[in-house]
Amino acid sequence: MRGPSPARRILTGFGIAVVLIYALFPFYWMLSTAVDPHADARGAGLLPSGFTLDHFHRVLVEADFLQYVKVSLLVALGTVVASGAIALLAAVAVARFRFRFRSVVLIMVLVVQMVPLEALVIPLFLQAKSLNMLNSLLGLVIVYLAFSLPFAIWNLRGFVAAVPKELEEAAYVDGASWWRMFRSVLLPLVAPGLVATSVFSFITAWNEFIFALTFMTDSSKYPVGVGLRTFFTTNTAEWGAVMAASTIIALPVVVFFVLVQRNLASGLTAGAVKG
Amino acid sequence: MSTAPSTAAPSVRRPSRAARLRRALPPWLLLAPALITLGVLLLWPMIRVADLSLQKFRLRHLLRGEREYIVLENYQKILTDDHLWLTVLPNTIGFAAVCVAATMLVGTVVALFLNTLSTPWRIICTTAIMVAWAVPALTGTYIFVWLFDPHSGFVAGVLEWLGLLEADTVNWWNNRWAFYGIAALNVVYHGFPFIAVTILAGLMTVPKELYEAARVDGAGAWRRFASVTVPTMRPIFAVCLILSTIWDFKVFTQIYLMPGGDGSNRSVMNLGVWSYTEAAGQGHYGMGAAIAVLLTALLLVISVVYLRTLLKEDDL
Repeated sequence: MRGPSPARRILTGFGIAVVLIYALFPFYWMLSTAVDPHADARGAGLLPSGFTLDHFHRVLVEADFLQYVKVSLLVALGTVVASGAIALLAAVAVARFRFRFRSVVLIMVLVVQMVPLEALVIPLFLQAKSLNMLNSLLGLVIVYLAFSLPFAIWNLRGFVAAVPKELEEAAYVDGASWWRMFRSVLLPLVAPGLVATSVFSFITAWNEFIFALTFMTDSSKYPVGVGLRTFFTTNTAEWGAVMAASTIIALPVVVFFVLVQRNLASGLTAGAVKG
Repeated sequence: MSTAPSTAAPSVRRPSRAARLRRALPPWLLLAPALITLGVLLLWPMIRVADLSLQKFRLRHLLRGEREYIVLENYQKILTDDHLWLTVLPNTIGFAAVCVAATMLVGTVVALFLNTLSTPWRIICTTAIMVAWAVPALTGTYIFVWLFDPHSGFVAGVLEWLGLLEADTVNWWNNRWAFYGIAALNVVYHGFPFIAVTILAGLMTVPKELYEAARVDGAGAWRRFASVTVPTMRPIFAVCLILSTIWDFKVFTQIYLMPGGDGSNRSVMNLGVWSYTEAAGQGHYGMGAAIAVLLTALLLVISVVYLRTLLKEDDL
């Protein structure tokens, strides 16, 4: 091994510090403001002036933020289930079958992700209005389904393709039908991929803002992102409450994301080669 | 299909029409739910928005089910509006250009740095970067608004402590440059992790022998980066560039949630916000649709130019 010179080590340590501070400081600032008893007068104090859960109390109890959390959870879970099922079928089709227009379908799935959501908000809003789907959780789930589907298909395709074909053939030799093979061989092996994809669909639905803002006008049906805006008045904000609510929104996403990132990598490499 | 007789596969006998159908059907059956969903929710609305952009469409048209085609009047109005040329377009394009350049730069530098670290430190730093990536755009924007709060935010506090500024004496949000500067910090913060992680993954696949060969040939660190890293990584750089351009052109949430960004301050509008406020705020759905079509067309042109110049056939 090469022995790094002291100057190089200091430089590396400095670099690590810069990366860590840059990546984590805004997140730290959110957490520390959320528990600061004098949040609104924080200024440049690196440490909070104390520790309090008052802001969380204000958000969860007085402002009934849990209601928004419930709406968002329902919408996100609906999106996860629907997009997981539909994307898995489509992924099997593109990963396991060779058919005409296969590459056209794949390219289309990539291209639709470029469509700006702002362009879709107007027609989908008008459509939902005429179908009386505004303020409906189902309406929001359907819209999010479309946004999470392309990535889910693309992602799952890799997991399905990684399952050795021999395993499928072995199932057929044992007399299994296609459906039986799908249930007992493919599904369990693709499960890690399905988990990772589901988390991404969940995050897509949980984080979305424009459609939530446009579709949900009834304050009892606000998802978290729109509900967060209730802590702002025209010129002032209750920063302690805003950051506490932001923590409630961001924390599950961050935890999920960091967990799944590992899962994603292990799922891709672990495969089922031992068969 | 080709008319020349195929040499590779000896054709046993022509399968019957029904048999061929039975073989071709399963993938399409599996694809059907996905294709129908995407068609109804993405493709059809795109057609609808193009159609709407040719109409005068307000709330009353919706309620009465009327159609009033005015063909290109919406476009004419937009394209002759100074607001587009002096404010909205520079905000959109200039902002995207700065953000893409900064995101790529920060992402690449971080990836190159992480690639030199030992495994435990690399995992620690990558996890920290994941946190930055995972913070939702929505809450991330509020964090940056709070950091830059002129009254008691972190930045105002630091500047006051340094004696450069008295808190509460400035309002950054009213200044177009300051507004977009802060928005750029937010967007770069949110965007660099993807670039860094993707490029890092690519860097780790570049064969070490290439670097050793270059070192033997006397190439310095910079020369090795320019002559080994960049050419082998070109497809990955290209994809990162395309994706971050697309993302940065259509930023909406990060602008809309900043003070004045929701259309109340017209000097900081971008195409996305303009389209949205025309439609949802003023009920000019036709006008909003026309702006949305312009945004989509702009994105399309840029994507095609990128794809043609950056990606070669065999990269995909």
